Amino acid sequence: MQSKMLASLFLMFVFLSGCMSESQTIIDDEGARESSFDWGLPDSIPLPQEPDDNPMTEEKFQLGRHLFYDARLSTNGTVSCSSCHHQDKAFSDGVDRATGATGDVHPRNSQTLVNVAWYQTLTWGNPSLGTIEQQITLPLFGDDPIEHGLNESNSEQIIQAIQADPVYSELFISAFPDQDDPLLGDLVWDNTIKSLASFVRGLVSFDSPYDQGELTDSAKRGEALFNGERLECFHCHAGYNFSDATIDRETTFAELDFHNTGLYNIDGLGAYPSPNTGRHEVTGKAEHMGQFRAQSLRNIELSAPYNHDGSVATLEDVVSNYARGGRLIASGENSGDGRVSPVKDGFIVSFEITDDEVSDVVEFLKSLTDTTFINNPRFSDPWTEDD
Amino acid sequence: MKHYFSLFTLFIPLLAQAHYIPSQDEPITVNASLSATWRSDNIVDENEYWQIPGTNMGGDAWPVEEGVQIDEMKLGLGARIDENTYAIVEIGTHASDSDDHSSVSLEHAYVGYVCCEEFGPLVLEVGKMSAAFSPSLSAHASDSLTSESSLAADVFFGRYFHDEGARVMWHTDSITAGAEVWKGDAFPATASAGYAWDAFARYQWKGSNLSFVSGAWLYRSSAETRADHRYGGGHQHTPVAVPGETASIFPDTRFTGDTDLYGIHADFAYTSDSESWKAGMKAEYMGMQMDGTLHDAIGRTADLDSEQTGSWAQPYITIKDHTFGVRAEWLTSDNLITGAAADQLGTDSGMANPTGFEPSRYTAVWLWQWKENIALRTEVVDDQSLLEDKLRFGVGIIWKQTLWPFNSKSHH
Repeated sequence: MQSKMLASLFLMFVFLSGCMSESQTIIDDEGARESSFDWGLPDSIPLPQEPDDNPMTEEKFQLGRHLFYDARLSTNGTVSCSSCHHQDKAFSDGVDRATGATGDVHPRNSQTLVNVAWYQTLTWGNPSLGTIEQQITLPLFGDDPIEHGLNESNSEQIIQAIQADPVYSELFISAFPDQDDPLLGDLVWDNTIKSLASFVRGLVSFDSPYDQGELTDSAKRGEALFNGERLECFHCHAGYNFSDATIDRETTFAELDFHNTGLYNIDGLGAYPSPNTGRHEVTGKAEHMGQFRAQSLRNIELSAPYNHDGSVATLEDVVSNYARGGRLIASGENSGDGRVSPVKDGFIVSFEITDDEVSDVVEFLKSLTDTTFINNPRFSDPWTEDD
Repeated sequence: MKHYFSLFTLFIPLLAQAHYIPSQDEPITVNASLSATWRSDNIVDENEYWQIPGTNMGGDAWPVEEGVQIDEMKLGLGARIDENTYAIVEIGTHASDSDDHSSVSLEHAYVGYVCCEEFGPLVLEVGKMSAAFSPSLSAHASDSLTSESSLAADVFFGRYFHDEGARVMWHTDSITAGAEVWKGDAFPATASAGYAWDAFARYQWKGSNLSFVSGAWLYRSSAETRADHRYGGGHQHTPVAVPGETASIFPDTRFTGDTDLYGIHADFAYTSDSESWKAGMKAEYMGMQMDGTLHDAIGRTADLDSEQTGSWAQPYITIKDHTFGVRAEWLTSDNLITGAAADQLGTDSGMANPTGFEPSRYTAVWLWQWKENIALRTEVVDDQSLLEDKLRFGVGIIWKQTLWPFNSKSHH
């Protein structure tokens, strides 16, 4: 019997001493941190997805930068992308709704162009618009409303202007070295869209006081409120880009998230004023009424006025609307109480908040302002440099 | 039938002190125990999460805290219903974090049936109960020499194992074998992924001076979106830190896949002829394989293939009312994480171990059975389970008593 006991002990010590393998963790990210483009990101931020047919290059970024600031890309030479997207306003424009080349007023507020590469969908409320390349065709060639006003009748003239510019000749050849003549015929539009998308995709902002860990005491209090049980802000404005519509190379699957924040309720059933009905405008489904994508809050201080139609003037007003559980419009054609909207998001519930607390939340939002981004010469108008 | 009772008095203490069968001589028993310990230091500071590098923790594996802490409290009722049937109900509370998650919970509520003397006997138990496959899993702070659970139990089983299920055990004088099937609520399983099960066998022998038990077990489970419920798994918010300190939100990474474990254990002892002293050693080795996917709420996934081991050895000597012992513990992990989100999810889940760190912990204990139902325990812990080595001291008290019948005795 003692031999059995000794054998048992021997086996135990063999396991305890001999079977202890060396510890290691092998991480294989399958190239997720590799890109031919220098994104200039902090280590904590994963790379955005790049389309297979339009990988990022510095040359396309620089070509896109020139095109972005070029008013020749409009029907009458009056409008460029930068007309509604000003760098000093984080590429928004400071007005409630912008005016196109021919005077059409856009029904939507101009969005910031900040970390667009990480958005799951583009524009305010279109769930099917998944790439910047797709989106860029809308302001260039769309006719409802007219923004740049490009169409079949004027596109040839614009192509000729681009072809004739020696700056562009060099930039196009550099950006598309595999093409014999990247300015030839319709190829120029395909290359123009890819380059504009590359520039917009490269507008990266992760250098705010928040990112540097330099919050004021008030901003720290605001951050706690932002992430607290009472305000629930962070559910929709989630993650490193402060939007739950964020995807990156690490994202395998993602739900489409759009939210009705109770901004309107003009018929008691939650209706928003036409045509600005958000996701509903595309899907036609009643439950999608008033649903818009949660905007990134980075540089939000610079992008007033707020909400999809620019109808809210200040950040304090935005917070107050959420505190009320929805906006009350007492009179006029859009009158209604958003708080009782039957289709508003479940996180839009009223909460008590003091004026000091509102100030703290706003101070936190201001800590997301990236002055390096709005002053970065890489993103500025190159034509003034070329001159 | 009395033969059953003599058998049980032999094997039940060897299985684990948490399991017992009320006898017909004392059809109602009420047992209580309490373990409380003062410690000189925390494992982790306030607003930090206890995450051993290279592992994916969860369950109730809360870090011990500085100051006085109730390690556990238990109150159990056993009832012998008839010749074959009995019932056990036990409530308890365990050490938790400072947010007071340590509410009283129902830990045991099961009915047992013992029969078939000619075969063994056989025991069938159904209800909510602790697992029997590993003796160390059901040995709580008032049962074991040390006040802290083993690192292997903390990492692989979330410290405790209470689940709803059924158990069948077969016994002879020297062999115990059994199998258990579980609903899957206990870490590392989740009920949504189906039943977990285990099988175990052990050999026990007792001579005039020597005794030993050795055994082996196998446990298999699956999990679906398993969270670390200590800090995550529900409504997530940034914790509020005191002014001047920072607190970050817990990365709520989930695991979906299979977790298989196996283990061997041994317990041998030598008792002197005069029974004035006793020396022995207990040890256990566990191996774990995880095969599945790490993922989070924003759609990031990575494949995980992990092999981990945990082991501990505890030599001790008891001289009259004093027991002196040392417990040494080791963990290893060999993880492969693949996918675009491998880096982030590896870090968030705790599976990342870039330096190949191998956690260990060494505990020296002096336990004094001061009074009939009260013991005092002093510990020195060299904790190398995290990258920062910590030395802490503990002084504790254990109360363990059979409250009914009144004249029963309970020693540690």
